[in-house]
Amino acid sequence: MPNPRLPEKHNYLEVQDLKKTFVDKKRTVEAIKSISFGIAKGEMVGLLGPNGAGKTTTIKSILGLIKPDSGIVKVDSIDCAANPREAAKRMAAVLEGARNTYWRLTVWENMQFFAGIHGVCAAENKEYFEYLLETLKLQDRRDTEVRNLSSGYKQKTAVACALAKKTPLVFLDEPTLGLDVESSYELRAALKRLQSEEQRTIVVSSHDMKVIQDVCSRVIIISNGRVVADDNIDDLLSLFRTRNYRIVVSKNAYMQHPELLMAELSQGFPQADINETPDTVEIAVEFTNPFEIYDLINTLSGFRVAIESITQEQVDLEKAFLEIVRREDGVCG
Amino acid sequence: MWLIALKASWRQTLTLQIRYLFNFFTSIITMSIVFLLIFHGVKAVGAGALDLGGTLEGLFTGYIIWMIVLTGYQDLAYNAANEAQTGTLEQLYLSPVGYKWLAFFSGSFNALMSLAQISVITAVMVLTTGQKLHLDIFSILPVFFGVYIQAYGLGFILGGLALIFKRIQSFFQVVTFGVIGLFMIPWSKYPWAKYLPFTMGQHLLQEIMMEGMKFTQAPKGDLAVFAVATIAYFLAGLGVFSMAETKAKAMGLLGQY
Repeated sequence: MPNPRLPEKHNYLEVQDLKKTFVDKKRTVEAIKSISFGIAKGEMVGLLGPNGAGKTTTIKSILGLIKPDSGIVKVDSIDCAANPREAAKRMAAVLEGARNTYWRLTVWENMQFFAGIHGVCAAENKEYFEYLLETLKLQDRRDTEVRNLSSGYKQKTAVACALAKKTPLVFLDEPTLGLDVESSYELRAALKRLQSEEQRTIVVSSHDMKVIQDVCSRVIIISNGRVVADDNIDDLLSLFRTRNYRIVVSKNAYMQHPELLMAELSQGFPQADINETPDTVEIAVEFTNPFEIYDLINTLSGFRVAIESITQEQVDLEKAFLEIVRREDGVCG
Repeated sequence: MWLIALKASWRQTLTLQIRYLFNFFTSIITMSIVFLLIFHGVKAVGAGALDLGGTLEGLFTGYIIWMIVLTGYQDLAYNAANEAQTGTLEQLYLSPVGYKWLAFFSGSFNALMSLAQISVITAVMVLTTGQKLHLDIFSILPVFFGVYIQAYGLGFILGGLALIFKRIQSFFQVVTFGVIGLFMIPWSKYPWAKYLPFTMGQHLLQEIMMEGMKFTQAPKGDLAVFAVATIAYFLAGLGVFSMAETKAKAMGLLGQY
C-alpha cells in the first residue's frame, strides 16, 4: 500500500504485491511475502532490512534475475515480465557479493564492454566516461587491470560500469560493503553528485545506515519479506524522536538535604533512572508530555542545585530501523 | 544496439585472448603433442586399436573433428560455469541483448580463433607425420562451421546444466572423452550412428581431406543428414539451455556458485 504521507508522483519504478518462495528438497523459504512500493524519477531511495529480509531477492526480481511467483514490476510503465528486453534497457545494477567486472580487463575496458552490451557506444560517450572516472576518482586507474586494484577501487569500477550504461534506473546493492572509511565517503560523495547532476533514479541497498541516511532522501524498510516502513528519512526519524533527557546536577555547598532531593525525585518522577555519584546526580528520564521537564526543573530549583547539563537524546536511522524491525519481529514472532 | 553489443563482445573476447596469449599457444603445443602420441601409439599397435574412421588416416580427421567439438562446446559450457564462478554471469544477464546472444557473439569470434588454432595444429600434424591431406578450404569450412554449431548445441546443454548444478567441470571432461566414442561406432554395423552428433561431419571431412572430395560432390543424403543434424542439435541445445535458464531463475541460482 502506498504511503499517504509521500507526495503523489508518477512512479518510474512500480512494484506491486511481489511474492517469491524458494523451494528445494530440504526446505521452503518464503523470501518475499508481499512487497509493494513505487519510486519516482530522480529519487534516491534506500532499501534497508536485516539479513534475509528479502532485499536482494526483491532487487533481483525487479532486474529479472530471479523469477517471482507473482506480482507486477513496471519500469517506465513497461511491464518487466511481458517485455524484459525493453525493461532491461532502462536498468543497471551493482550486485552484492559478485565481482561485477572482469578482473583481467582494465577499468576503461570494463566500462567499454558493459556499456557496449547495453547498446551504449564507448566511442560516442568518451567524455561522459571520463566524467564518471573523474567523479569516482578513478582517472589514475583508468588503464589498470581490475585485479591489481584495491577493493575500494574495484567497487568504484563496478559502480562506474553500471553508470556507464546510462540507464535511468540504477540499483546499488551494498555498494560500500568492505570499503574503508575514506573509500566509502568518496563513493557516497560521488553518488550524491551524480544524482544531483543527472537526476537518475537510484536504489541503494545497504546494511550501513549512515550510507542510507547520508545519500538517500527516502527509505523503504523490508523485514520478513514485507515492507514495514516507507517514508522520507526526516519524517521517519520524527516518529521516533523521543523526549528522553539526561540531566546532570552537581552537589554543591548550596545544596540542601540531598537525601530529600533523591526521595522527591523518586516519588515525583518514578520513570526516571537516577544515579548518584559523590559529586553529581544524573537523571535519565523520558517525559510523556513536553511540559513535564518544567516540573523537574522546578523540583531541582527548590533544592538549589546547580544544573551542569541538559541533553536530549538524538534518534538516528539506526535506532529507528532497529525499533521498526523489533516491533515487526514482535508482531510476526 | 545489436551492432554495438557485437563490437563490444568481440573487443572484449580479443582483449582477453591477448591477455591469455600464453594459454592460446600452450593449447596448440599440448594438442599437437597429444596427437603425435596417439598417432605413434596407434601406428605401433595397429590401426584397429583406435578405430577413428576405420583407418590410420581416419585418425587425422577424427582428431580434427574432436578438436572442433572440444573448442566449440568448451567455449560455451566452460564460459557459463566460469562466469557464474567469477560473478559476472548476472551482469551479462542484465544486458538487453540477452545472454544467449552474447554467448553467440563471443562464440563467433572464438570460432575464428579456434579455426586458426586448429589450422596450426593440422599443419604440425601434416609436417610431423608426412601424411598428405587435401586442404580445399571451401569444402572444409562448411564442415568446420557445421560441426562447430553442433558443438555449440552440446555446449548450450552443458552450460545449462552448469547454471543449475554448478561445479560440473569433471562431467565436462567425461563428455570430452565420450565424444571420441561417437566416432568409433561403425556405421556398417549400426547405421543409425550417422545421425548422432558430429559423426556425419567427421565422415564428410574424411572424404574431403583424404579422398579429395568436394563438399558439393558429397551425396545429397549425407549433406541433408549433416544439415538437419546441425540445426537439430543446435536447437536442442538452445532449448535445453532455455529450460535450464528458466529453472535457474525460478530457483534464484544465477548468482550462486
